[in-house]
Amino acid sequence: MSLERSLRQFEEDRKEAVRIAARLLLASATTTPRVGGVGECTTHIFDDECDIEDLCQQIEKMSEESEAWGFFKRDAVILRDADAVLIVTSLRSLTDPSDINCNMCGKLTCEYMREEEKLPKEPGVAFTGPLCSFRANNIAYAIDGIVSMARNIGIDYGVYWSLGAAAMRMGLLPKATGFALGVGISVTEKSPFRDIPQKYDEINERTMNDRIIQRLWPQFRSIYS
Amino acid sequence: MAIIEMDSLIRNGLDKAVELMAVAAHNSFRFGNRNTMKMIAVGNEELEQIAEFCFSLGDMSPLAARDGRFVMELIKEPTSLLIFGDTRKSPYNFNCGACGYRTCAEMNKAEEVESLTANGPSCQFKNLNLNIAANAAASLAWRLGLHCRVMSTLGFAARALEIIEGVDLAVSVSVSVAKVDPYFDRHKFWTQDYWDEIFKKEFPTFDRGFIGAVEDEDW
Repeated sequence: MSLERSLRQFEEDRKEAVRIAARLLLASATTTPRVGGVGECTTHIFDDECDIEDLCQQIEKMSEESEAWGFFKRDAVILRDADAVLIVTSLRSLTDPSDINCNMCGKLTCEYMREEEKLPKEPGVAFTGPLCSFRANNIAYAIDGIVSMARNIGIDYGVYWSLGAAAMRMGLLPKATGFALGVGISVTEKSPFRDIPQKYDEINERTMNDRIIQRLWPQFRSIYS
Repeated sequence: MAIIEMDSLIRNGLDKAVELMAVAAHNSFRFGNRNTMKMIAVGNEELEQIAEFCFSLGDMSPLAARDGRFVMELIKEPTSLLIFGDTRKSPYNFNCGACGYRTCAEMNKAEEVESLTANGPSCQFKNLNLNIAANAAASLAWRLGLHCRVMSTLGFAARALEIIEGVDLAVSVSVSVAKVDPYFDRHKFWTQDYWDEIFKKEFPTFDRGFIGAVEDEDW
């Protein structure tokens, strides 16, 4: 087997490993505990590079909406390095409080919570709360199911709420979704989610390549034309 | 080598398992990269108090009453309860809107609403951190072969009784080494009639069908 062929084989197998791992993580997320033993979470896998790019562009757009969301730019650049992303949703937290009057949302009863006006869907609002915290907590279990399985099978992971918010904004998730979180996964020798340089959104492999190409291109063009 | 009897093997094993679960929860994933959670493990004495408290809420909450009766059964065999708690205010400045306020600063300034179960309004990401820790403990318990259930009611009761202090939100993970798995038997204390009459009335949304199921007309 030639070197080129075996390297190509490695790259294909690596991508296949990501696809299999994403589905195992979905299984783990789905079987974690749910409050009251009632299902309400879905997990969506995006393992197409173009889909991930769309999501990253949406995250970048959203970073302009609020001063507090400056870190979205960095999230987007990090997520471009992910091989697949999983997005976990909570389908009942928005419209269907759990009727246990837990007061986590600050409304003494779920009836008050139903009557409360939701935040409008507009720039600067990621989730149109108030949400039923008790229901939305289901996402915590699902996320830890993903994290726990990823650690078991040796997959690098990073959890990003910007990803969930962007997917909701793009309408990729079920209509009733009240809250969503995203997990990026990667099968590479160095985890792209850890040990990230401070200005990674400005200085990363892509921007460096672009700069070199932009700088050298006029000379190439003059030499080869 | 001295012989160690089965009872003490199991009891000591349970204690060690709870310690390991606590470590797993302590080091679990969290937003904001900072662990602000409080955690305690309680034994039979506190569990009895919790059970009595839960049972006393029977008129208000059939679910709490059921869990009170359940705990009294549970403590007949070696068991332990890990309780996790956290404060409600947001240190993150994410301004995500999930709590119903546009910014974290607004939520932190909002009037605190106190109740027996939890103080609100609370930051959704604080809630997530707390429950991720609970799941990390539960996930390890599962791998160690313990019987395990995440129980919010017992966490609420521990907070109301100030067994865990200085927290606004609480959740608990109950583990047991009983000979028969004591958890997840919803028919143990209730007849079908009781379920239909009391439970459905109290929790119309509780046993609604799973996603994709056909719902009742009045949904």
